[in-house]
Amino acid sequence: MHELGIVYEVIKIVDEFALANNLTKVDKIILEIGQLSQTIPHFVEACYPAAVSDTPYQETKLEIIVLPARGECQACHEIFNVVDHRKICPNCQAEDFSLISGREFNIKEVVAY
Amino acid sequence: MEVYKVLEIKKSVYENNDREAELLRQELKKEQTFLLNLMSSPGSGKTTTLLRTIEALKDEMRIAILEADIDSDVDAHTVAKTGTKVIQLHTGGMCHLDAGMTRQGLDGIGSEDADLVVLENVGNLVCPAEFDTGASKNAMILSVPEGDDKPLKYPLMFSIVDVLLINKIDVLEHFDFDLDVLRAQVNKINPNLIVIPISAKTGEGIGEWADWLRGAVKNWNQPEPVVESPA
Repeated sequence: MHELGIVYEVIKIVDEFALANNLTKVDKIILEIGQLSQTIPHFVEACYPAAVSDTPYQETKLEIIVLPARGECQACHEIFNVVDHRKICPNCQAEDFSLISGREFNIKEVVAY
Repeated sequence: MEVYKVLEIKKSVYENNDREAELLRQELKKEQTFLLNLMSSPGSGKTTTLLRTIEALKDEMRIAILEADIDSDVDAHTVAKTGTKVIQLHTGGMCHLDAGMTRQGLDGIGSEDADLVVLENVGNLVCPAEFDTGASKNAMILSVPEGDDKPLKYPLMFSIVDVLLINKIDVLEHFDFDLDVLRAQVNKINPNLIVIPISAKTGEGIGEWADWLRGAVKNWNQPEPVVESPA
């Protein structure tokens, strides 16, 4: 349900974009979802067909690119994946890091004509 | 054969809402209406806390309530009994309110005639955290039975709120809930967060909470905003 609301928002933005750019058909929407975004790609895919049914985007495909959750260690400045390493620096074992990426939820691009 | 092209949008899904929310916040500032976005899990005592808050402040400011629920108007009825203006917003199955829905509610209730509007958001610790409603301040209620580990599970919610009420402290002794543990965890996520332990049932702590709200409303109405950064 959480994902559904967000997918509606995606469609709204794409729709505005399509109007502004005189696009007649959107073939594919490409999203970027961060590993630490509170949105699960699998659920986005699952509810996408429901969100686009009976809209001009019914035939539009969806592609999701997952962006890694990268953090920089505050102690040794090692850059590491904070999910894979459970928030602990693999180089010096410090637990303080600043997040570089991973919270995104972007519409990257659309394929259209 | 039709030729497809790739068009870059590169836009956060939250961007539209963020813009709408900022606009709403500026308008509220102009009409001197303070909007509090109140969030929590279901059953944490939001409505009871709201009743206590109304009781404490109704003689000094004009209060209006926006009740958001997926369905039903049980909470709106409860609040209406206090004589406070209340409007029920149905999110129609949606798990959160966005700035657009909040604006509709504010228009519906005539927010320009209120000093304090409390938006009782949908009971949920995930989605409401992601959508800025345009509120002046964000508050959250965590109740003792829910456990002191919630900041670990819902870090985003704890990172965006300005004030955290710990409700049901009258039953603290029956639960493994350690206020110090909670404060330490919260401090890691959001060092500026104000934590106020209360019991909506006994009234304990409501005075401190009412003081915080009074101060926040007063601050909001200052002609020159003193580096206030609304969450």
